[in-house]
Amino acid sequence: MNVFIDKGEFVFFIGPTGAGKSTIIKLLLREEVPDKGKITVGDTDVTRLRRWKTPAYRRSIGCVFQDFRLLPNRTAAENVAFALEVIGKPKSVARRVVPEVLELVGLGGKEHRYPHELSGGEQQRVAVARAFVNRPLLLLADEPTGNLDPDTSIEIMRLLDRISRTGTTILMVTHDSNIVNQMRRRVIEIENGQIVRDQARGVYG
Amino acid sequence: MRAKYVMSEVFLGLWRNISMTVAMIITMAVSLTMLGAGLLLYNQVDVIEEYYQTNLEVVVYLDRDIDEATTEQIRQELEDSGYAAQVVYESKADAYERFKDTFAESEDLVASVDEEVLPAAFRIKMNDINEAPELQAAFAEREGVYQITNQRDILQQVFDILGGAQRLTLIVALVQGIAALMLVANTIQVAAYSRRREVAIMKLVGAPNWFVQAPFVLEAVFAGVIGAIFAFATLIAAKFLVIDGQFKDLFSLMPPISMQSILLLLPILTGISAVISAITAWITLRFNIKV
Repeated sequence: MNVFIDKGEFVFFIGPTGAGKSTIIKLLLREEVPDKGKITVGDTDVTRLRRWKTPAYRRSIGCVFQDFRLLPNRTAAENVAFALEVIGKPKSVARRVVPEVLELVGLGGKEHRYPHELSGGEQQRVAVARAFVNRPLLLLADEPTGNLDPDTSIEIMRLLDRISRTGTTILMVTHDSNIVNQMRRRVIEIENGQIVRDQARGVYG
Repeated sequence: MRAKYVMSEVFLGLWRNISMTVAMIITMAVSLTMLGAGLLLYNQVDVIEEYYQTNLEVVVYLDRDIDEATTEQIRQELEDSGYAAQVVYESKADAYERFKDTFAESEDLVASVDEEVLPAAFRIKMNDINEAPELQAAFAEREGVYQITNQRDILQQVFDILGGAQRLTLIVALVQGIAALMLVANTIQVAAYSRRREVAIMKLVGAPNWFVQAPFVLEAVFAGVIGAIFAFATLIAAKFLVIDGQFKDLFSLMPPISMQSILLLLPILTGISAVISAITAWITLRFNIKV
């Protein structure tokens, strides 16, 4: 398969289970390295990226998952700050940026709640905030609404839409036909590792 | 900030897995104690060798019924032989005195030995102790000579015992060391598993590898250093309680083990232990669980 995604695009990857949607995410994160083929993100050839350069590369990518992946013993603000902390940003940066981002995702006032004190939608907002706090060029979302009810899902999509408007490329894997149909963005359908449809402003079909 | 985070992770990790941490420290301490004892023995053999090299004597025991003329002849021959730097005659009476001194605490033994039994002897300081066999060969068959002993042969037995003890301590150190390193590897795996969520998130947001690995490696280093300190304390205790204490008489045969050489072991043991633990932890992370 051969795909080009332009800067600032919002793309849905859809397809049946086992089609290879999540593999795309893993390849882009360099959690897996392909046997052949070439993946380029920005100027980086991910397939030829050295192991020790992977961390630096990942900093240019944000990632959101179905299961949120928050640290349970840290508050919303600390979870977001953690992403800055581990890449060596000074605390002063975190103090300035974290409230901003939490405000952006609509969690103002809930900075000091722990994940178990937040609803699923709110937890996913924290995850989005963490993915976005470094202002990545590319945001990967692996079924981000998979664990959320329809109303909450739409709120999360609005949030992703807003982030997309800042110029961030968003690549989202999903099963959620409602969302795909409502958003009317580019849709790439995959089956058995092959692209069967690539449609600008597409529907789930 | 990051240093603080790493340190708190280290102690949390060790505490969460406390039984394994204790097992790791104990095995390391035993291994390092043995290694330390082995090194001390190694040092001791050198010290003893040097100490005795200048004091060793060859003793020519004379027949009990020897007459004065023959004795005087033998002395002359010994002095003329060129091997001896100094020849000292020890009469039967002298020998008995020496015997009484040596075994002053065992009166029964002293009482049971007749003054006449002990032979007279020439105690010879050699020009070169390595020529002792030649001297022995030359005088062994001489009329009036009962027996010739080279103190170095006796000392050789001491060396053999020390050498054996040294080999034993080093083998125990090696076996315990392997066990300790396996425990390190295991502890690191358990620690990495219990923190897999943090590790996954750190890697996801692009934390540098050293930052992800540091808490685990430092955990191993910390345990290694504590183990080394315990080993050091054990050796100090052994010096005061065993060597200078209960078995003072036994060890007084040898030159004392100096405090200085024990103190020197602290940095050596700590360094060896910390470095090997760190390498083991890092290899475990790198190749076993791919952190």
